[in-house]
Amino acid sequence: MKRYFAVLLGVLTAIGGFVDIGDLVTNAQVGARFGWSLVWIVVLGVVGICVFAEMSGRIAAVSHRATFDLVRERLGPRMGLLNLVGSMLVTLLTFIAEIGGVALALQLVSSVHHVLLVPFVAVAVWIVLWRAKFSSIENVLGLLGLTLIGFAVALWQLGPDWSEMVATLSPAEKPAGESWATYAFFGVALFGAAMTPYEVFFFSSGGVEERWTSKDIGVMRANVFIGFPLGGVLSVAIAGCAAVVFLPQGIVVESLGQVGLPVAVALGKIGLAVVVLGFFAATFGAACETGLSVGYSLAQYVGFQWGKFVRPTEAAGFHVVLLVVTVLAAGVLLTGVDPIMVTEVSVVFSAIALPLTYFPILVVANDPDYLGEHSNGWFANALGIFYLVVITVVSLAAIPLMVVTSMGQG
Amino acid sequence: MGSQRRTVVAVLLVLAALAAGPLAACTVVDEPAAADWDHSAERALSDMASEVGSARLALDTARRERLWPPYALVLVTEAEEAAGTVEEDLSRLQVPPQREQQAEQVLDLLAVAVTTVSEARSRAVEGRYDDPALLDRMERLASRLTGEAGRYASG
Repeated sequence: MKRYFAVLLGVLTAIGGFVDIGDLVTNAQVGARFGWSLVWIVVLGVVGICVFAEMSGRIAAVSHRATFDLVRERLGPRMGLLNLVGSMLVTLLTFIAEIGGVALALQLVSSVHHVLLVPFVAVAVWIVLWRAKFSSIENVLGLLGLTLIGFAVALWQLGPDWSEMVATLSPAEKPAGESWATYAFFGVALFGAAMTPYEVFFFSSGGVEERWTSKDIGVMRANVFIGFPLGGVLSVAIAGCAAVVFLPQGIVVESLGQVGLPVAVALGKIGLAVVVLGFFAATFGAACETGLSVGYSLAQYVGFQWGKFVRPTEAAGFHVVLLVVTVLAAGVLLTGVDPIMVTEVSVVFSAIALPLTYFPILVVANDPDYLGEHSNGWFANALGIFYLVVITVVSLAAIPLMVVTSMGQG
Repeated sequence: MGSQRRTVVAVLLVLAALAAGPLAACTVVDEPAAADWDHSAERALSDMASEVGSARLALDTARRERLWPPYALVLVTEAEEAAGTVEEDLSRLQVPPQREQQAEQVLDLLAVAVTTVSEARSRAVEGRYDDPALLDRMERLASRLTGEAGRYASG
């Protein structure tokens, strides 16, 4: 019974924790501009994150060490440093975007400008990172994030023509006014949002925090293969709501407030309140995850004691890193930079950094010295290699597309 | 001695080549292309249509009591700020001589849109959402902006 409860809790928190500010904004933008014609990218991205999250979870469960603890050892300090710098900068950028996202969510209920809220949000995030238990952060915020199911209810209530929706799933149904370059740019951004590198840092380090063993591989797979795809359904619902409400009116999504507007149209104030709670939980949860991920990756590379399973005094370096990155994130946002713009940049740079994150995972997951009988089989390798090709193409295409389309402006 | 002279000549040639680039760039400054201005106008008009549509949707949803006041105010304020930026960005561009008349018309239309979105924000601040005349005007304005954008898109 306890095991079933663990699976259920894990799946629910995986669903609620799947969506972050990047998913919220990018899916709504894509739905408003391209309708359903980019949904296949969400499916591609969700399968990809499942493939690599399962590998990194398996590495943590069998070796009792986080993925990037092993990357330096297995691939050497030079490759480890390249990996650290690329992935950590993207995660830091995502951390800034998430803190901005929390402030934007609070702005929607208070109408106080988000810049004024940033210091309070940063202090709250830091206190949670310092004081709260790992399982509390994961479970409470993950379960609250489930309120984003409001988007699926709203989509059903908006009553789109489902047969027409199916007919427009093909890339050929891209709106005529949009260029193929812009379509490809948003495809890259959507893929980057679905496969954000911090998700695997957090997942594998979380496995070590929760002291997974080989016996937990089944539960971990249930979380990944049930929770993540259902989280992907929420992403599609966000895009769908925007496609139904905004696309016919030619409205482009540029703010978090607009992301929730279709829910207000469909469900009214109560539905909107539920979804705004989801915005807060999703962004606050992701702020904690990205903040911890920056600390994890740096501490694992340098060799500090890390994690929340030890007292802060025993992992002082790790907690100093958390404090410094929180102050840095707040400082950047206090300059008045638009958090939505930071989000847009972070998802594109996530796409650029994908090979740096996922190639080492594939290498370590194939090493029998670390994983023994649990190292990758042919199917995991076939999927891993397929995705490595895809993410390399995406990574190489990201900057040219960003320049050619002026960040998707057309 | 000979090699020194060759070095001096080579350095002078390199300096001349380096100076030639910027000088050439100065002399080839051309008047702005009409097609580029048309593209910018099309983007500004469609962006403005989006802002007017967004503000209208927020106001209308609040009128039907499906949106709480701070949320509606945030949405309309963001639309007003973005509308101002759209107008400012286009007005800063140098207009090609053959587009002077069109530019005046487009900038007038954008100014009307900015004023209308500002009016919508005033209503949101006052909490007076039930203004069918304003909503109707915004709907017609958004359609007109979209139509004008389409005209510039098709060249």
